[in-house]
Amino acid sequence: MASADSETGRGTPEAIPQAVKIIVAGGFGAGKTTLVASVSEITPLSTEEVMTEASYGVDDLGGVESKSTTTVALDFGRITINDDIVLYLFGTPGQDRFWFMWDELAAGALGAVVLADTRRLDTCFHAVDFFERQGLPFVVAVNRFDGSEPYEAAEVREALDIPAAVPVVMADARDRDSCRDVLVELVTHVIRSRSPAMTG
Amino acid sequence: MRGDGAHARPMVGHVPDPPSTVGPRFPEPPTAADEETERFLRPYAVDAGTADRPTDDPVEHEDDLDMLTLLVAARLPGEREVLRPERETILLRAVRARTLAELAAELRLPFSQVRSIVAHMIADGSLQRCGPSRPLERQDILHAVLVGLRSL
Ligand SMILES: Nc1nc2c(ncn2[C@@H]2O[C@H](COP(=O)(O)OP(=O)(O)O)[C@@H](O)[C@H]2O)c(=O)[nH]1
Ligand SMILES: [Mg+2]
Repeated sequence: MASADSETGRGTPEAIPQAVKIIVAGGFGAGKTTLVASVSEITPLSTEEVMTEASYGVDDLGGVESKSTTTVALDFGRITINDDIVLYLFGTPGQDRFWFMWDELAAGALGAVVLADTRRLDTCFHAVDFFERQGLPFVVAVNRFDGSEPYEAAEVREALDIPAAVPVVMADARDRDSCRDVLVELVTHVIRSRSPAMTG
Repeated sequence: MRGDGAHARPMVGHVPDPPSTVGPRFPEPPTAADEETERFLRPYAVDAGTADRPTDDPVEHEDDLDMLTLLVAARLPGEREVLRPERETILLRAVRARTLAELAAELRLPFSQVRSIVAHMIADGSLQRCGPSRPLERQDILHAVLVGLRSL
């Protein structure tokens, strides 16, 4: 019997899943890559972007414009949800000067996790602002590092000026269950914020 | 408090669905006419460069390729990929549908470079972009993702 896919010599044609994504943002060293690795079914992959930056020398060239190339790595992991859906988790590049990449990264995302690093809460201000402006639903996961201030979620909420509707949860990016809980919290929040009438 | 004080904060409410990339998009397979054109191409024009005369405009493809665009090989690698190892790799990897992000990561080449090569390969008919077999509504996706995550 000739199968529909016989010309390629394969058996049953593979179902093609829908690829969806969640963004993991936060400052440099906040634990983004760690979180992605904790829940990903594959060792996180990384795709690079090489950028040429014109920089105005403060070096011995004395103000002469020079060019340098920088590599930005985007880490991502994958979770196969079922036969129809594959979820990708993308960590944002930490440095502020790569902001222009965020638009593309955020486009079409289901939602975002903002990792707040308790040693440097201010490093996630930008991410919070960005997702609010985009109207992309997000949760704040407070990643508590050893030896840092023992912030409560409420204090972080106040410090970051997060509206009451946005969940702020404690997390440990190294712990798979903790990361799963953060993602569950996010998706629950996304579903809730899409149907405001139903939750009042 | 965040730096600039009393900025108006947009409410996080219903988020409209982004421009849909859902839905099967199966480009026409290469025709005999395309094959005709192929014969006049240098078989090992380097990279995605200008030497290829594509059957349609790669720039157009490039503009709407993103990290999660799914690609599937329309054929196995052949003579045309001699001395174009990156294209060969793409065709081998994309025997099953692959996201552009995964292809770029596996090739260890910058994303924009892979996107450009892929755009040319779509234009010349070696690769096809594809939509999901079973396109789902966003709400159904979210519920399925929630169930899937809970059982991690
Ligand atoms: N104590 C503690 N350390 C963490 C946690 N998450 C990440 N780290 C460590 O912080 C460092 C930076 O994490 P990484 O994931 O690379 O940060 P990224 O720059 O946001 O991707 C690594 O050495 C991690 O092991 C956490 O939840 N608690
Ligand atoms: Mg990282």
